[in-house]
Amino acid sequence: MRGLKSIYNSERFLRILFGSALFVVLCMGGLAYKYIRDLSESFILVQHTYEVHIELEKLTTLLKDAESGKRGFIISKDTTFLSPLINNREKLAETLENVKNLTADSPEQNANIAVLQEKIGQSMAIFDQTLAMAKDSLTHTQEFRNAFTRGRFIMNSIRNKVNEMTMHENELLKERREESSESLSNAPLMVYYTLIISLCILLITYAQLSRSLKVLRTKNEQLETFKEATNQSAMISKYGNWIWHVDEETFEFSDNLYRLLGEKPQSFAPTIDNFMEFVHPEDQERFVDQVNQMYLNRDLPYLHYRIIQRDGTLKHFKAYAKLGKDSEGHQRLIGTTTDITDEKENYRILEEKNAELERNNEELASFNYVASHDLQEPLRKIQTFISRLEDKELHQLSDSGKLYIERIKTSASRMRSLIDDLLQYSRTNRSETSMEFTNINELIEAAKHDLAEVIEEKHATVKVESIPEMKVIPFQIKQLFLNLISNSIKYSKEDEAPIINICYSKTKSSQMPWLKSVKYKSYHTIAISDNGIGFEPSYAEKIFVLFNRLHSKGTYSGTGIGLSICKKIMNNHNGFIQAEGRPNNGAIFTVYLPVH
Amino acid sequence: MKIFVKFDFTRICNKVIEDTLHSLGIGYTIPSFGEIEIDDKASSESIKQLNERFAHYGIDIIENQKIILVQRLKDAIVDMVFNEESQVNVKSSVYLSEKLGHSYGYLSNLFSEVTYTSIENFIILQKIEYTKSLIAKTDLSLTEIAFKLNYSSVAHLSTQFKNTTGITPTAFQRIIAKRRELANNPTN
Amino acid sequence: MNKDVTYVVLADDDEDDRLFFTEAFDELKITTQVETYEDGVALMKALNCEDASIPNILFLDLNMPKKSGLECLKEIKKSKRFQDMAVAIYSTSASEEDIENTFVNGANIYIKKPSDFNTLKRILSDVVTINWQYHTSGLNRDNFLLRL
Repeated sequence: MRGLKSIYNSERFLRILFGSALFVVLCMGGLAYKYIRDLSESFILVQHTYEVHIELEKLTTLLKDAESGKRGFIISKDTTFLSPLINNREKLAETLENVKNLTADSPEQNANIAVLQEKIGQSMAIFDQTLAMAKDSLTHTQEFRNAFTRGRFIMNSIRNKVNEMTMHENELLKERREESSESLSNAPLMVYYTLIISLCILLITYAQLSRSLKVLRTKNEQLETFKEATNQSAMISKYGNWIWHVDEETFEFSDNLYRLLGEKPQSFAPTIDNFMEFVHPEDQERFVDQVNQMYLNRDLPYLHYRIIQRDGTLKHFKAYAKLGKDSEGHQRLIGTTTDITDEKENYRILEEKNAELERNNEELASFNYVASHDLQEPLRKIQTFISRLEDKELHQLSDSGKLYIERIKTSASRMRSLIDDLLQYSRTNRSETSMEFTNINELIEAAKHDLAEVIEEKHATVKVESIPEMKVIPFQIKQLFLNLISNSIKYSKEDEAPIINICYSKTKSSQMPWLKSVKYKSYHTIAISDNGIGFEPSYAEKIFVLFNRLHSKGTYSGTGIGLSICKKIMNNHNGFIQAEGRPNNGAIFTVYLPVH
Repeated sequence: MKIFVKFDFTRICNKVIEDTLHSLGIGYTIPSFGEIEIDDKASSESIKQLNERFAHYGIDIIENQKIILVQRLKDAIVDMVFNEESQVNVKSSVYLSEKLGHSYGYLSNLFSEVTYTSIENFIILQKIEYTKSLIAKTDLSLTEIAFKLNYSSVAHLSTQFKNTTGITPTAFQRIIAKRRELANNPTN
Repeated sequence: MNKDVTYVVLADDDEDDRLFFTEAFDELKITTQVETYEDGVALMKALNCEDASIPNILFLDLNMPKKSGLECLKEIKKSKRFQDMAVAIYSTSASEEDIENTFVNGANIYIKKPSDFNTLKRILSDVVTINWQYHTSGLNRDNFLLRL
């Protein structure tokens, strides 16, 4: 998703980049246009200046021709010299007019031209005067000389004026040149810069585009993999997808949906009507109802129905759909249809097993009852009748008769303890009683109290450390201590009074390497050690197995159930019990109770 | 129709006793309530008749001084256990023999003969009885009760409680609590 | 009827147990009058008879046909008539739950049927003696709980 987001971001970035590039190019175009216009303008100006120059040059040349013609005439009196003078008069006026036109925009030059025109007029007048005098051969007169000198003087001032005008025009040209060259010299640099900027933008755009493309490609690959995985999981977990395009009212079925129906992918048009053909006749009404609801509410809560494949196989389907929107905002309902035939079957098997288990449990419970009541009752009566017989008739029996009575008594009491212990074992269930915080020392005291007789008889000592309160099933933990203490006393040495020590400590789970799975951080650890006959270390596991006894019935009485009960009790408490022993060197039973 | 009556028990009892003795022709005096002096001449036959007549009214002839003494002994024990003021530090045997003016051996034998139990057992019974009422009616902890009743430890009290009643003090407490709960919600 | 005689009633469907029970009382020195019924229905019929005298101690077997001991107990505890009568449960089973349940429902004594006749005699003697203590020494019957 992050990759896609970066693509969206880069798209916006690209848009900005493109916009700025467009702007820069537009600016550049505008600038170029302006420069070209400036250039052509200055060219026109320069041409204009040259034209003025030429016209002025022409003017002076014409005047000079007229002058030299005049002089030639005066010297030679040949009238042919006068022809340029006559011709030039028109040309002068024409040229002057041209100059006037060219410099019409400059008031300064206008003034100059006015002066020039006047001077030219004067000069023409003096020409005429001197020519007339020369015709009359009055050239040696003072008057002629004066007029001639004056003519030369005016001629000089005209030349000066023309020079002045040329100068002025040159200055103007220079000024304009400077102006245009200033702006023109900046132009290529500006163009160059804009080009560089455009290039940069182009490069960045390219980089961004290629990066986005790369992201898109990896995303595409991921999508492809995901699609593959989805297809696989759809096949394995037997589900198919479908899409209902709400606006267009069209459907799209995934390949696996066809497979679920037992058909080849896309082998028929994906419509509700076509799908309906597969739905079990009994479920069709409900199915249609639900589909109509779906059209109405644009939602499909879980729908269970059956379908029949073309080959007649019945399948259980479960469908569910949720409304969503595609990127263009069109509403569409995306649905999943799952083949739950296996699930149903498993569920049915599970239910059967459960029912069987329940039946078994009931049988066990009734067995419990039979054991507790019906079996105990006749046994109790046998024992009571024996005690009656002993009290009343024993003296009448022979010695062997007395022995038989004794044997019956022993067997009956053994049967009693077996029944009692078995009952205790089967009653040791977790569900019966609940856990509560209990003073363990009180429970041990109660157990000791129950054993008071045998403790006194064997002169046993039971030392108990102070033990904190724990969350336990009180009846069971009392039973545990009762069994363990009586076990220690039972397997004590004949020549030594039993000493039993009950010690408390706390153990961390990390210090219990034999622990298979760690559910609790630490365990209350209660160790019950004695100085009895102990046992072979190899029996440490075996002694907890039901009916397992390490000694023959004659040597030590016992049913082989007591320690199994202890183990069951510890299981009920999520705890453990372990035994350690060495022959003739005492045994240690360690009880681990989880710290809640 | 209902009528209501009121009685004077002392007068009724005396009247019944007087009438019965009179009808049997036995000479008597009544020095105080619950005590009758009869003439020594009365035959054992007439005493037997008297016994039968009295039984008809629910009156028992307390046979002899021994039973009276036992009753006094019981009263003394109950008083000793239940009343803190009379809880003395002397041994109960000394206390009882001094209070009743008989040797403890005599009292002990007499008590067993009449009640089928020993004085010791009776004292324990009374102490446990007191413990029960304290558990049922107060919030005192077992430790406090043990101290109040001069037990050396809670364990001692618990053991004695268990020996006498067959159940532990905790179980007793639980049963009483559940009974009350049941009384408050009789639907169960 | 002598006041010193303890009137004892047992309801138990087991013939042998009824026999043991009466024999045990016969052998005891205490003067008792014993009556037995073979099920809860017969017992309740006799007890509810208006002019029947009320027993000092009623022994109830828990497991009886027609009407169980617990049902009888509940019925008895509802009636004011029997408030001075001690009720002893006399049963084969002795699970802690059973015992506590009967105590909670108002039983005073719980006896697990012993498998030895002499023990039975001792237990019955204890029951009568202690009940008599309650009777004569003005003890609080509400707190009368005894397990044997």
